Amino acid sequence: MKSKLFTAVFILFASTLLLVATSGFKPSQGKPWPVPDKNAKMANPVKSTAESIKAGKELWVKHCQSCHGKAGKGDGTKAASLKTEPGNFATPAFQKQSDGTLFFKISEGREDMPSFKKKIPDTEEIWDLVVFVRTLK
Amino acid sequence: MTKFKKYLQFMMLPASICLFLLLSIGTMAQDSTAAVPVKKPVKGTFESNWVLDNQSVMVPIKGTLEMDMQHRFGTVRNGFKDFYGIYAPANIRLAFSYVPMDKLQFGFGFTKERLQLDLNAKYAILKQTKGGIPVSITYFVNTVIETTPDKDNQIYVTNGDRMSYFHQLIIASKITDRISLQVAPSISHYNNVEGVLDANGVIQRNMKNDHVAIAFMGRYKVSEKMNVLINYDQPITQHPGLKKNTNPNPNLSFGVEFVTSAHAFQLILGNYQGITPQSNNYFNHNAPFKYTTADGTEMKGGMFLIGFNITRLWNL
Repeated sequence: MKSKLFTAVFILFASTLLLVATSGFKPSQGKPWPVPDKNAKMANPVKSTAESIKAGKELWVKHCQSCHGKAGKGDGTKAASLKTEPGNFATPAFQKQSDGTLFFKISEGREDMPSFKKKIPDTEEIWDLVVFVRTLK
Repeated sequence: MTKFKKYLQFMMLPASICLFLLLSIGTMAQDSTAAVPVKKPVKGTFESNWVLDNQSVMVPIKGTLEMDMQHRFGTVRNGFKDFYGIYAPANIRLAFSYVPMDKLQFGFGFTKERLQLDLNAKYAILKQTKGGIPVSITYFVNTVIETTPDKDNQIYVTNGDRMSYFHQLIIASKITDRISLQVAPSISHYNNVEGVLDANGVIQRNMKNDHVAIAFMGRYKVSEKMNVLINYDQPITQHPGLKKNTNPNPNLSFGVEFVTSAHAFQLILGNYQGITPQSNNYFNHNAPFKYTTADGTEMKGGMFLIGFNITRLWNL
């Protein structure tokens, strides 16, 4: 009787694990994120200096690190609960995106990635963030 | 009580609002005529609306909705008996605020102690700029209505007796990237104060209706996410205290703050249990250190308690 009960509980537990593992997790990192040309071509008005990197890092730690991780590798504390995989910012594929593209994506957001244009209303600060993201390679 | 005095009491709220609006309009008018390039304001002097027991100089950006959850446990003096006050009766405040336009915030909150409903407003009069204005100045005002049931008017003779008001001018400066300092003089007003019978059987006020105080605060930024905070409140008004010492005690509080994109968490060790500022300034009987008052009363020190502030922000 005990072994039957154990088997039933084991099957139930294993089925639940299988269900959780196969459903709901749909990483959309590969999904195209179109950025309008005029935005993608925008040049960063903020030069990369110790001051702008520091300002960008402060914003990164406060707003981005919990999902994207300390070094932008997508391993932040919240990353595991995201439907959208945060990606690895250290890769050449990520870093080849233009500054304007990064600015657009930070400002507008998509799916799990929130829009920051209200939270960071000063555009210069978003450019600071782009400057910092460039240091993650 | 004369009719005139009652009238004055009821006029405190509208007068506060008028003063507040006048300040707002004055500053807006200055903004509209400014054509010269404006120096950028200094950001992050404090990173939450709260510095432990007081308001900070910060007014969040336009469109910010904030929810505050504040808790103050009992004093730690009983040790394991009530686990340093955590199992003792606690005071709680749940509050909301919104920033409908730049520099201006409105809010309301509910506090367990004396069932207080508070309505408050905060306006950033002046902002510190890089290489320009050395300080930021913000005005904070609130009105509290005590909603304790009192069917037979045993506590409150009139509804005006339920009201109290608090005005504070908050002056702060970000000295370095890591260090910010703030000083905040305030005045609290209670319509209803404790009375005692004197030798002739005449009721006398045991406390004055108005109480002036000053608060000093500091922040040291340990990392991008963590700050250490300190706060000291010094009462200034001396109250008559006809039958006992009624002067409120100073407050000393320390805390750590953890800041994220949408939250601020502050863990506090301090003397204030009231949460609403006028209640803290007017009724604090927990003393940070042992001392003797002007009338010779020995005050016991070390009456600290644990508390926390949690704020949650949404950008609408």
